[in-house]
Amino acid sequence: MSSTPTNSIRDAIASAISDHEVILFMKGTPDAPACGFSARTVAALQALDAPFAAVDVLPDARIRQELSSLSNWPTIPQLFVRGELIGGCDIVIEMYESGELAQTLGIEQPPAPAPTEAAGPAGSQAGSRFAPVENRLG
Amino acid sequence: MPSAGEMKQRIEATLPGARAEVDDCTGGGDHFRAHVAYSGFAGRSRLEQHRIVYEIFGDEIGGPIHALSLKTSTH
Repeated sequence: MSSTPTNSIRDAIASAISDHEVILFMKGTPDAPACGFSARTVAALQALDAPFAAVDVLPDARIRQELSSLSNWPTIPQLFVRGELIGGCDIVIEMYESGELAQTLGIEQPPAPAPTEAAGPAGSQAGSRFAPVENRLG
Repeated sequence: MPSAGEMKQRIEATLPGARAEVDDCTGGGDHFRAHVAYSGFAGRSRLEQHRIVYEIFGDEIGGPIHALSLKTSTH
């Protein structure tokens, strides 16, 4: 049983980390990130369609304090997967770009959007592709 | 509030043989970006490499140094 509020915050953080396979501690919310680093980290997770829990550290300064002392990591955001700290924005973005993030999350990285196969022979639609819709009233 | 030059010096003084490039991203003296090349990073995870650099600045990270964006390499 926790006797002080600070310990209960720490306990709540620890259980949030163990209860969620993927959890992001961030400034703001995924819909309204309050910091560019948090925004970029959310964007990487969303680009992979990865489900994740998110905790906003801003409402109470003690969340950030206790989180950093628990994780031995000084900055926000912090991404945890299966109870383990993966890193902050720089590491998450590097891992996203190398494909390691998808691997760590156990999901398939969606292929980069490729041009869809042309319906007809190559070049046959050149000139008509961007043809403006015209109203010829003459 | 440290300058980019001071941060570079502190990184290179703490990690023997390391080379650091530090930019003040906004010119405001609180958002920095550093690339640190250090042979002592070899065999360590990216997480540990970043921790080694963060530890040089201790409580200044999140304080006067609002953000320190890192890229690390072994050479």
